[in-house]
Amino acid sequence: MSRKLTVILLAMMILVGAMSLKTAVTSHNDNGAVMMANGGAPVPPPLYRNGGAPVPPPLRNGGAPVPPPLR
Amino acid sequence: MPGLFGYIVWIVSCLLEAGVVVCAVKKKALRPYLFLNLYMAAELFASVSRYNILHQYGLSSLQYRYFYYYSDALLTIFLYLALTSLFSSVFSEMHAEKLVKFGAVFLLCATAAFSYAVVYQSQARLLTHFVNELSQNLYFVGLVLTYVLWAAVLKLRETRTRLIQLILSLGVYFSLFAASYALGNLYPSADSVLQFLPPLYGCFLPAAWAYAFWRIPEDARLAPSRLAVIR
Repeated sequence: MSRKLTVILLAMMILVGAMSLKTAVTSHNDNGAVMMANGGAPVPPPLYRNGGAPVPPPLRNGGAPVPPPLR
Repeated sequence: MPGLFGYIVWIVSCLLEAGVVVCAVKKKALRPYLFLNLYMAAELFASVSRYNILHQYGLSSLQYRYFYYYSDALLTIFLYLALTSLFSSVFSEMHAEKLVKFGAVFLLCATAAFSYAVVYQSQARLLTHFVNELSQNLYFVGLVLTYVLWAAVLKLRETRTRLIQLILSLGVYFSLFAASYALGNLYPSADSVLQFLPPLYGCFLPAAWAYAFWRIPEDARLAPSRLAVIR
């Protein structure tokens, strides 16, 4: 039983590590690109990008400069 | 539509994928490395199907896009199974195959559950979002698993040359994709150059595996001193 629990712990650690790595690698991804390519076929555009319009800046209420975070 | 370069790379990768299976059959390595060969055969099948759909509907068509990304998700699952079969081979002397299988199934289910948790709020095209998310998450899981496997190879002083070659080429393959993707995010202006690289990487893995099956005999051993040792 303890061996199975060890395997579960290891699997969870691998999953956490993989998702952390993914977050680190894709944190600056704003072009909708996806990383997947098995084989040499040409990669089509992503499936769910609606239209080719430029992505607007994030929503902000008003145009005032953003102050430093509260401490 | 892809240009001449794209077609040449695609044809070369198809030939190499077929070459892996042929080399494995010739060298009687089909059964010991069944999942690796299944992955290569599935890649070849997917490439031929993609070619048919691409020529019928075009690169930007929904048909090609859906088929490409759904088949890519399936291929990533095949690649994951191939990787877990390498784990089984490395841990075979410890008689831990059952534990490896249990861990592989658990990790696959956990990754699927995590992927579903990420996308379940998408009311529209939930399945497409899920397939996309699962494929990418499995990809990163495979990347981490390959490094874990390499650490196990060093720790257990594995000396089977063919197995080491297969694992190392898988590690290089995953790392090339991750590095290329990270560079694409850091330098979006270089996207036009970087988009040519993934199909080239697709040629690397079958070439390395075909070499391993063709040139390295099953009983070849590396001297343990040639591997770095973790103490």
